[in-house]
Amino acid sequence: MMQLVKALRQVQPSRLYSLAAAVPTTTTTSPTVAAPAEPDQLYSKLEIELRGVDPAVLKSYTWFATTAAEHLNIELGKCWSPRKAHHERMTLLKSVHIYKKHRVQYEIRTHFRYMNFHKLTGSTLDTFLEYIERNLPEGVALQATKTELQQIPEHLRQPPEQV
Amino acid sequence: MAANLTRLLEHKLQTSSAVTAQRCVRLFSTQQQQSEVNDDEEFRVLNLRTVKQQARRREIKKDAVQPPRTSRMAVDQDWTAVWSGPRSFHPASVPLPLRQGYTERGAAAPSKYANAELMKIPNFLHLTPPAIRQQCEAIKKFCTPWPKGLETEAKWKRHFPIEVLSTDYCHSLPTIRHPEARRVTITLKLSDLQFDAHAKDKFLRLVGERYNQETGVLTFVTDRCPTRKQNYDYALYLLTACYHESFVTEPWEDTKSEADMEEYHFERNQAKKSAEAILNWNSKAEQKVAASPSYATSVEQLINEGENEYNLAKYKEEVLKMLKITV
Amino acid sequence: MNFLKKASGSLLPIAEAQLSNNSAIHTSAVCCRVQSGRYRITTKRDRPLTYEMANPPHFIGHRKSWNSWNTSTLKDSLRPSQTAIEDVFLRKFITGTWHALVCSEIIIKRQHNTIRIAAIIRQAISPRKMYFLIGYTEELLSYWMQCPVTLELQTVADKKDVVFKYI
Repeated sequence: MMQLVKALRQVQPSRLYSLAAAVPTTTTTSPTVAAPAEPDQLYSKLEIELRGVDPAVLKSYTWFATTAAEHLNIELGKCWSPRKAHHERMTLLKSVHIYKKHRVQYEIRTHFRYMNFHKLTGSTLDTFLEYIERNLPEGVALQATKTELQQIPEHLRQPPEQV
Repeated sequence: MAANLTRLLEHKLQTSSAVTAQRCVRLFSTQQQQSEVNDDEEFRVLNLRTVKQQARRREIKKDAVQPPRTSRMAVDQDWTAVWSGPRSFHPASVPLPLRQGYTERGAAAPSKYANAELMKIPNFLHLTPPAIRQQCEAIKKFCTPWPKGLETEAKWKRHFPIEVLSTDYCHSLPTIRHPEARRVTITLKLSDLQFDAHAKDKFLRLVGERYNQETGVLTFVTDRCPTRKQNYDYALYLLTACYHESFVTEPWEDTKSEADMEEYHFERNQAKKSAEAILNWNSKAEQKVAASPSYATSVEQLINEGENEYNLAKYKEEVLKMLKITV
Repeated sequence: MNFLKKASGSLLPIAEAQLSNNSAIHTSAVCCRVQSGRYRITTKRDRPLTYEMANPPHFIGHRKSWNSWNTSTLKDSLRPSQTAIEDVFLRKFITGTWHALVCSEIIIKRQHNTIRIAAIIRQAISPRKMYFLIGYTEELLSYWMQCPVTLELQTVADKKDVVFKYI
C-alpha cells in the first residue's frame, strides 16, 4: 500500500492531497510496536459529565464511580459540580385568558456534575466505562469525552521529498 | 255489667293485638325464622309480600398474606445476592427501618410500607461498597496498567503528539444514537510537524482559524460526515492535505509584491538601497560596501515589532555605528 | 355523518400535507397552575389523600419527587415530546388494565432502553390473576414500546394504607 502511494506520488505530485484519503488505512496497518494483535490505545483523559434532576442522585453516583476507579487503580482527577443548576424557565399567564400582570413560571432544573480520570489504556477505559454506564441510575444522562493519544502518521513525519 | 263488658273487650283486644303482632313478625321475619315456623305449623303460609331474599354476601377467600421477607432474613446474609440489580424499592426486601416524607412538626414521617416516595427515588442498594469491590475484582482482569515511561504529560507528548477527542453519550432512550457523537477533534502542536519557511507560511494560511497563535496548537474539528470514523478520517485527511499542499509552490506565488508581504524584510526594501547609497557615497571602488547584518536586524525589529524604547535605542546605536559617528 | 366522512375524506390529505409541511402542530400553552394537582377541602373533611396528592405540584423536588424519571427533560436532550406522550399512554394503559387496583401514582423510570414501572396495587384479586396481569402488561407494553418493560409492584391490603390525610 505504501509503495502504491509512493508510486502515485511520483506520478502526480501536484495532486497529492487527493490521495490523502487513503492514508489512514496505511497507518493502521503499519503498527509501530511489533505485536501480532493491534496495539492498545492510550487515553490521557476521560472526562465524564453527568446531568440529572436530583443532585443527591448525582452525588451518590459520583461516589460509586470514584470508588470503582479506586478499586481498578485508575488515577482520579478533579471532580466537581457547579453550584447552581441550569434553569430552563417558561413564563406564562396565570389566568387562562386575560390579566397580563399575573404570570406564572415553570422551570426545569438540570444539575451537572463532572469527573475526570487520567491515564487509562484502551482496555481499562472500555471496562471502566461500560461498568459505570451499566450502573447509571434512571434520570441521569452521561457524556464521556475521551482524549486519545496518537502518534504522528508516518507520512507526516518528514516533509514530502518530492512535490 | 258495663265494667265486666269493658274488661272482656279489653281482654279480647289484647289477645287479638297479640295475634296480629305475631303475624306481623311472621310476615317480616327472615326466611330462617319462617322455616322454623313452617316446621311448627302444618300449612305453609301464603306469603304475598315476599321479602326480598337478602343475597348472602360471598365471603372473599383471601389467601393468607406472607409476612415480609425481612423478618426471616439472617443478620449476616449476603446482601449482594438479595439485591443484585437496579430495582425499585420494596419494603418487604429491605430490612431497614426507613421513613420518608414531609409531615407537620411533631408527626412521624410515613413508614416504608406503601410509601411511594421511596419507590420513586433511584436507589443504590445494589451498589453497596462490598458489591462494588466484588464486581471490580471480577472485571479487574480486563484492565491493563498504564505503560511505564509515559508517566508525565511531557513524556507522552514526545511520543504521542496527536490528541483525538471524541464524546460518547449515554441516555435513557430507545435509541443509542446521538447526533453530537459524530464530532471528532484532533489537536497537535505546530512544532511537531517539520516545515521550511515557505511551507510554514503557506500552511498557516491554509489552516487559518484552526491555528491558535498564542498556544501554537492546531485544532481540527470535523462534524460533516455522519459517523465518527468518517469524521476522524476526514480530519486526518485535512491535516495531510494541508501539510503536503504547503510544500507545493505554485507559479503565481512568485508574483507576490511588496504590498502582499506579511512581514518586513530588509533585503527587499528601500532601506537597504538607501543604506548602501549612503555607505558607498562617492566611492569609486568596485566592491560595494553592504550594510551590516546587525543593522538589518535592528531595522526589521523596529518595523515588525513596532517602535518601543528598546528597539529605538538599538536602532540608534546601529545607525551611529554604521555611520561611524561618535557622540 | 356521511357528509362528515366525505369532508374528512377530502380534507384529510390536505391536512396531512399541511402537517408535514409545518412538521408540528402549534398549540397554546396550557396553564392551570391555580387548579391542577390541588384538592379542595370537603365540608365533612373526609376526602382521602395520598402523600402525593397532599403536596401540590410546586413541592416537586422538595417534599415529593418526580413520577417520571427520564433524561428527555434535561438540557439538550432528545425526544422530550415523544417520551411525554409515551408516559401518558403507559399510565392510561396501566390504570385501565389494573382496573380500580392502582392505589398510588404510576412511577415510570427509564434506564438505558428499559422501562421500569412501579406502582402500589391493592390486594383485591388473587395472586394468580395478578401474575397473569403482570405478564400481560409487560408483554403488550414491551411490544408497543419496542423495549423491555418491567413491572415492580408493591401490594397493600387495603386502600386506606396509602392514605396520608383526610381533608
